[in-house]
Amino acid sequence: MPKPVIEVEKLAKSFGDNAVLKDITEQVNPGQVIVVIGPSGGGKSTFLRCLNLLETPTSGKVAFEGHDLTTMDTKSVNSLREKMGMVFQGFNLFPNMTVLENIKLAPMKVKHADDASATKQAHELLQRVGLDDHADAFPDSLSGGQAQRVAIARALAMNPEVMLFDEPTSALDPEMVGEVLNVMQELAKDGMTMVVVTHEMGFAKSVGDRIWFMADGYIQENSTPEKFFANPETDRAKDFLSKILM
Amino acid sequence: MKKKIGLLLAMLAALVMMVGVFGNPTSAQAADSSLAKIQKKGVLVMGTSPDYPPYEFQATVKGKSAVVGMDVKIGEKVAKDLGVKLKIKSMSFDSLLVALQTGKVDMIISGMNPTPARRKNVDFTHTYYKGGYEIVINKTDKGKYKNKDSFGGGTLGAQTGTTQYNAAKKQTKNTKVKGMTSQSDLILALQSHKLDGVAMEKPSAEAYVSNNKQLAAIPSNFSMSSSATSSAIAFRKGSTSLVNKVNQTVDQIKKENLVKKDYLPAAGKYLKTNTVNTSMGHYWKAFLTGIEYTLIITVCSVFFGFIIGVLLALARLGKGNFLKSLLRWIATAYVEFIRGTPMMVQVMFVYFGLGLFVNLPALTSGIIAISLNSGAYVAEYIRGGINSVDIGQTEAARSLGMSNGETMRFVVLPQALKNIWPSLGNEFITLIKDSSIVSIIGVTELIYQSNIVRSDTYRGVAPIVVIMVLYFILTFTASRILNYFERKMQHA
Ligand SMILES: Nc1ncnc2c1ncn2[C@@H]1O[C@H](COP(=O)(O)OP(=O)(O)OP(=O)(O)O)[C@@H](O)[C@H]1O
Ligand SMILES: [Mg+2]
Repeated sequence: MPKPVIEVEKLAKSFGDNAVLKDITEQVNPGQVIVVIGPSGGGKSTFLRCLNLLETPTSGKVAFEGHDLTTMDTKSVNSLREKMGMVFQGFNLFPNMTVLENIKLAPMKVKHADDASATKQAHELLQRVGLDDHADAFPDSLSGGQAQRVAIARALAMNPEVMLFDEPTSALDPEMVGEVLNVMQELAKDGMTMVVVTHEMGFAKSVGDRIWFMADGYIQENSTPEKFFANPETDRAKDFLSKILM
Repeated sequence: MKKKIGLLLAMLAALVMMVGVFGNPTSAQAADSSLAKIQKKGVLVMGTSPDYPPYEFQATVKGKSAVVGMDVKIGEKVAKDLGVKLKIKSMSFDSLLVALQTGKVDMIISGMNPTPARRKNVDFTHTYYKGGYEIVINKTDKGKYKNKDSFGGGTLGAQTGTTQYNAAKKQTKNTKVKGMTSQSDLILALQSHKLDGVAMEKPSAEAYVSNNKQLAAIPSNFSMSSSATSSAIAFRKGSTSLVNKVNQTVDQIKKENLVKKDYLPAAGKYLKTNTVNTSMGHYWKAFLTGIEYTLIITVCSVFFGFIIGVLLALARLGKGNFLKSLLRWIATAYVEFIRGTPMMVQVMFVYFGLGLFVNLPALTSGIIAISLNSGAYVAEYIRGGINSVDIGQTEAARSLGMSNGETMRFVVLPQALKNIWPSLGNEFITLIKDSSIVSIIGVTELIYQSNIVRSDTYRGVAPIVVIMVLYFILTFTASRILNYFERKMQHA
């Protein structure tokens, strides 16, 4: 067994009285693509955000490569976040910077890369997501699909070990979903460890290694795509699947 | 005589009282080393309010603006007899007493009469001049009015809070009394027939009449105690040795009749040369100085105000441990306090209040006060700007490994500033106008200069029109420049 990249132990998170995550213990192994699915409001985003401590867990442990993030000082958390890229539903590109500047910012300010090497790397990443001709464009001139691919390139610029995706295609027009999923599929093929929250069941089936079905603050099922989609075990999952796979 | 006792003075008195609580070294009454101190220092600082010809006023001496008048002559004689140099500090009359008590000046010679109320707070020398009161009227009314009793049914004007104002109120029947703060305004009101007469001191009245052919003066017939009509030099309380020494000078001035023989004629000479050319163009240098200082104050205050504003905004947005909460509380209290008190009071507080501990020149005090004030407003704009930046921007930056500070500096603040640029621009324009407040502590910015020109030329409206146009040119140019940058930023 390889050592897990991410280990979650007895993770719980409440917002006031609202217990969103109740008791989650799972782990992510290197190279794995985990697809998290479940009903809206089930805590998927909250879970993902607990992994890189954008949200502070109420209790439990989140460890990255064996280091418990919940007991670390702020500075170490900052430097561990570099290793976990995150892609948001709403892209969150910096609107006042060009595409190229968006990608170069963190490498230059955080890793103190020099301008030349940051620029070179940014162009390589843009080629990878097929957008090098848009290097000098501003985000508001991009389509949703283009913007999300830039966001992926921006996260990759920090050379992360893991990539977290929170519904990366939910805000896109249907015809643009494919181009983003393709980039993600390529990433998976290159061996990137990924945790993906999505409603794209096709992607879950074809790219996912494991499906985590999440509802009511628990991971209700953890199985392979084949098994999950053919033979869900819990009633909660059956109910969910019957609603989305009509 | 000038004896303003308005709200302003009450406030300043409170300030001085507070200072007393802090333990003010300069007003210590214990050992009287006042004379020795001045002689050791070698400089005698005279405070005066130069808008009161022929007592004291601004004139162009050898191409340069200077304070002249009979009081200045007296100051020069006092300094010479003490064997020290004379330095003149101009400020508004209301500020003089506080300036003396807080050590900004060593003495006041400003046509000040030694009333019992003032005697409680300062020491006066023997009186050096005894004046009287007249009423200035339009020459066309000359047959109509004889003295204070001829104005039944009409309106008399006088400088607010002065002795003559109180006398006009108490000693006339059936007559309305209107107060204004400046003599030039009163004369203007008289000439535009809003007033029928203006009560003022004899030398002033004579100066106005001799410089304006449409005016005439009649006796007032106010009955006055001598302390209300005479002028004396004020020193800090407890300066007995200094006062005794200066009294020798004052007595000599009186004995040799120097005021009438030398000082008044000398002052009159300036008045004459001064009124030869009263065109506004003649005063372009004065206005230019005004513009220069207005711009210096504005630009410096915007710069420091912005830095203070950023710090305050960050402190107000801080959350977390005790220290951060404390900072937030302090910043919030500061912003509320500054926004809840008049800028004029803040300017005076910095100049007179802080001035007790560090000797700050008026210009520096003005810049500090306005920066502190502007900082509070800018902080609110910036806080709003930071809050207007989508939380997703912060999360994206944090997820890339950027620290809180880096996120603020490289991602949030640039966007916040872009969002609030128009508000910041407005603040700049507002400051150009609001900087005029520092005229009260004698900074020679536009308003101050225009007041000087007004009392210099006896022309009421022209200087106002000039500075109105100048202010507009300044603000208009500034807003064009700001718009240019705003458009440039929107492109980015
Ligand atoms: N910052 C917050 N403060 C308070 N409550 C929150 C906060 N973030 C999320 N919640 C609550 O937590 C619950 C789970 O939200 P979360 O966004 O994690 O669900 P989700 O599974 O991602 O749903 P969706 O599919 O709609 O994105 C919701 O009830 C939500 O209202
Ligand atoms: Mg969600």
